[in-house]
Amino acid sequence: MTKENEKSQETDPKYPYRSEKLLPREQRVVRFLETLQEVLGAKIYNLPLETYLGTCAKCNNCAEQCQVYQTSRDQKDLPAWRSDLLRKVYKKYFTTSGKLFGKLVGAESLSEEDIDNMVDAFYRCNMCRRCGVNCPLAIDNALITRVGRVILAQLGFVPTNMTLSTRTQLGEIGNTSAIPKAAFIDTLDFLEEELRDETGIAIPIPRDVEGAEFFFAAPVSDYIMEADTLLGIAKTFYAAGASWTVSMENFDAINYGLFYSDADLEKVLNRLLEAANSLKCKTIVIGECGHSTKVALLFQKIYGRPEYHGMKVKNIIEVSHSFLKEGRLTFDPTKNPETVTYHDPCNLGRGSGLYEQPRELLKAAVMHFVEMTPNRQMNYCCGGGGGLVVVEDLHDWRMSAGGLKKVEQLRAIGAKLVCAPCANCKKQIRELVQAHKLDMEVVGLHDLLGKAIVLSGKA
Amino acid sequence: MPQIELAGKTYEVDEDGFLQELDKWNKEFAQAYAKNEGIEGQLTEEHWKIINYLRDYFQKFGIAPMIRKLVKDNGIDMKRLYELFPTGPAKGACKLAGLSKPTGCV
Repeated sequence: MTKENEKSQETDPKYPYRSEKLLPREQRVVRFLETLQEVLGAKIYNLPLETYLGTCAKCNNCAEQCQVYQTSRDQKDLPAWRSDLLRKVYKKYFTTSGKLFGKLVGAESLSEEDIDNMVDAFYRCNMCRRCGVNCPLAIDNALITRVGRVILAQLGFVPTNMTLSTRTQLGEIGNTSAIPKAAFIDTLDFLEEELRDETGIAIPIPRDVEGAEFFFAAPVSDYIMEADTLLGIAKTFYAAGASWTVSMENFDAINYGLFYSDADLEKVLNRLLEAANSLKCKTIVIGECGHSTKVALLFQKIYGRPEYHGMKVKNIIEVSHSFLKEGRLTFDPTKNPETVTYHDPCNLGRGSGLYEQPRELLKAAVMHFVEMTPNRQMNYCCGGGGGLVVVEDLHDWRMSAGGLKKVEQLRAIGAKLVCAPCANCKKQIRELVQAHKLDMEVVGLHDLLGKAIVLSGKA
Repeated sequence: MPQIELAGKTYEVDEDGFLQELDKWNKEFAQAYAKNEGIEGQLTEEHWKIINYLRDYFQKFGIAPMIRKLVKDNGIDMKRLYELFPTGPAKGACKLAGLSKPTGCV
């Protein structure tokens, strides 16, 4: 750190999370406004931002919907208040009425303290979009949070683990968990051995198969944490008789760019599309991961290079569901006798519209399925959304204000298993279960499908 | 760089307490660090088996193994693993073994 940096940061408050390198305090306002101007000029953001930042009825419907605000009752967690941090700056500097009438029309100058507030507030938002469901003006506060974070990143404010993970992914090792290729091979061999031991069948995890129908990319942490999810996915592809492959060059679907940077998002996304393209695969299947599914679905045509626009993007749940509908899967639900409930990952539900497919799969594969309330469009986030689950500094917040609503919901349903088909949600809910001593286990969807799938006669 | 003093020696660790100089690791480090990770008293043979396994795997592959592999190769189950290392395999066990911090959704 330079002396100048040290000096300027003497007046900084203690921020709730660590960032790698901050812009000197006195330079932040100018840089903030420059970046906001750039973002407003971007084609994809111009119209939505002018709409969402131009107006807010202050009806406080969002206060009722935000699980964080409902728990903390802290103004910082009120979606309308948080979005207003950016809205009043936008009005002041980028609208005629704001320039002329200032506070009368909700426009205010930007100060260093305002930026401090944003550093905190935009990283207390799970970007779950529950507040948008009932907003009379259909304001997408998660988009405002996202844009706020993109701007803050230009001042250096991004939780260290996010930038570190992305740098590892875009570097030589090529994935967010820094799994070297030799370790990846060892892990795939181990998983195949598990499949053989368990089923007596040589079920493969195909590697670098050119022209396979499905190109599969998991959130890479699954290769450390989620053996059962991956085994279930391999069994499902096998049972359906589908051709699929993982890439030895790029096996990580994670894209943390969604949480702080369009530039990083674009690079990571194109790496993935390129890996599928180089194996001549036409359908990319994302594993049990919410945010990377949403990134690939939403940004493929925006940031993906034109030559990749013809590829299809699907989440593994859609693929397995279509296998079920086509009669290619048979389950023995007695293999899953425990009571199971389903947690809607925000980026799969509200983000990608996958509500019924996972439920239909579960109902086919387990004996007792129970529904938490609320669910589907109104489901509560796990409390680790918006990338916050990887921010170790926010752990205590995630276990309290972030996740308490989810804890209440889980406690009320009393199921033995909670199925959460997203790496982010799995980690967060497991930590909640431990911290709040809930008597339940967290599993993935394909963990359960894998247990119940009937493979006889396929050997 | 933060430092941690254990059993009279100073070690460089990252901000989450992961040892930065892997070659500085020794058994005293693991034993002295155990208390911070919720393990009371002396590390048992079972602990050492896991720690040594992690170190061997890390030396060979540059990363911790899949947790399923760790438990299978050591003949224990997940429940026992969490009993041995209350802060979990990715944090507690890796920290005591002197491995670098895992990144991503781990």
